[in-house]
Amino acid sequence: MRRRVRTSLTIAGVAIAIAVLFSLLAFNAGYEKQLSGELGSMGINMLAVPKGCPYEAASLIIHGGVIPKYLSYDDLEQVKNIDGVEIASPMLLHQFFKDDKPHIVYGINIEDQKLLKPWWKVEGRYFTEDEAGVMVVGRSLAEKENLKVGQVLQFGPDGVPTTIVGILERTGTQDDEFHFLPLADSQKIFGKEGQITTIAVKVKDVSQIAAIGKKMEQIPDIQVVTMTQIQGTIMNLVGSAQTLLFSVIIIALFISAVGIINTLIMSVNERTREFGMMKAVGASGWDVSRLIVVETLILTLIGCAAGLIIAMAGSKLVESFVRGVIPYAPAGNLIVVEPWLVFACIGFALVIGLLCSIYPAIKTARLTPMEAMRSDLE
Amino acid sequence: MKKEIIVSRGLCKEYRRGSERVHALKNADFSVGEGEFVSIVGPSGSGKSTLLQLLGLLETPTAGSINIGGTEAGRLTERDLVKLRRNNIGFVFQQFLLLPTLSVRENIELPLLFNRKNVKPEKIAEIIEMLGLSHREKHLPHQLSGGEMQRVSIGRALVNEPKILMADEPTGNLDSATAEKIFELFKKLNAAGLSLIVVTHNMDLASLSHRVIKLKDGEISAG
Repeated sequence: MRRRVRTSLTIAGVAIAIAVLFSLLAFNAGYEKQLSGELGSMGINMLAVPKGCPYEAASLIIHGGVIPKYLSYDDLEQVKNIDGVEIASPMLLHQFFKDDKPHIVYGINIEDQKLLKPWWKVEGRYFTEDEAGVMVVGRSLAEKENLKVGQVLQFGPDGVPTTIVGILERTGTQDDEFHFLPLADSQKIFGKEGQITTIAVKVKDVSQIAAIGKKMEQIPDIQVVTMTQIQGTIMNLVGSAQTLLFSVIIIALFISAVGIINTLIMSVNERTREFGMMKAVGASGWDVSRLIVVETLILTLIGCAAGLIIAMAGSKLVESFVRGVIPYAPAGNLIVVEPWLVFACIGFALVIGLLCSIYPAIKTARLTPMEAMRSDLE
Repeated sequence: MKKEIIVSRGLCKEYRRGSERVHALKNADFSVGEGEFVSIVGPSGSGKSTLLQLLGLLETPTAGSINIGGTEAGRLTERDLVKLRRNNIGFVFQQFLLLPTLSVRENIELPLLFNRKNVKPEKIAEIIEMLGLSHREKHLPHQLSGGEMQRVSIGRALVNEPKILMADEPTGNLDSATAEKIFELFKKLNAAGLSLIVVTHNMDLASLSHRVIKLKDGEISAG
């Protein structure tokens, strides 16, 4: 009975450690993957933002952050005229609150967006550039707010009636959360005529990004932020929270590993008398060592399998916890299950198993049968 | 006298207990012939179990030699010592030492796993029947009586077909009627040609053997 309890505790200890390790690794892999994917899905190579706008703020633009500085149409023309620029698309960002929840509005040039994001598909239709009182909304937003094509909303500070002409099919990015309006109409609704928050730029040849960026920065009002810089900035923003989280988890993992090692060594020691009997009835030192190592590895692998199942089953819970503690989390699954993660966890379990079993295995193998039988009694 | 199957010369065993040296066995000269049934008796702490453990190659002597079937045990490597023990000696313990998660049959088969021998079902069945455990074959140790557990332990000692069966207080945990049955079983095995060395406190049972060796304070005093 005592052994059954100890075995269950050992398996539970390994399972918890593996579940934590797997979630940690899966989150680490998933976060960077989703962030890169999200930046890649913007279809642009860099953003032109008003000079003086810090990188941190510029980075926030990609998920709807509003900065209190603007560019002009003159700046847009100058960017368009730079050699190598394929698309320079002006955007106005605005944020308003409804029921204490922030809502993001993007004023866009729809034809540019169709070129930048060819994967966009719409239920209903897109608006045209010179339309007014129309908008397209993201899928998640439509679901949350129960919005339908053809529905009319009172929009902006003056409550301008605006018809939803289309709902985007799910993109798996932040676009699923936004309102999209024709640029000119959004400028009018929010009193920002002639003003642009940012210019999204796509270049003809990606090897020329640095050179084109330099030329853009020669325009007096413009500061350039590349997607790589944005990714770096976001990673820095989340870095400290991530470091804290990782430190806590690694300490927990270490404590748990020490606990597992202790339990496993205890359970092997508890059986030393049994191993002595086996030697007395014909087992060699090697037979006993092999038995100890194999049994311990089986135990840790069962724990590992249980831990992986727990981690996969609980990934949504971990994800929602992580989203609560880090400053920026991209859309999509933050916990990404990849084969190497599973192998890494199996490797961790095997290392723990070997660490726990090799010492008692060697020790027991060296004992005479009677020494082994006595050691259990002492 | 029949050919000697086990011979010890000048056998000594010392233990350390803290800073104290304990002489458990002093200069024991001892031999058992093929097919002989020998009992070792003596008061507690006289060294009888130590002598049996040394003869059974379960413990290393501090000095002296043990020869089993013509092989000098002291000169062997660990591997060869295991083979010598496995092929010649079956050991029965007072506390039975059965594996609690294995059935009667599996406990009896256990030594064959280490011997890399295929289990011959008919041979196991024969041992189980001889021990009177056919109706208990699939039972776990905790479902057995003390006498039955000791019989399983004897079956486990016999499964490798040893030349010598050694038993350390085999009836120490049993009532007198069951103890008698165990000794009857030993006599039956001995009649079939097996050499037996049994450590016991029970003089009545010891008197059933061919020869009684008496130990006192680590020395053989008679036999």
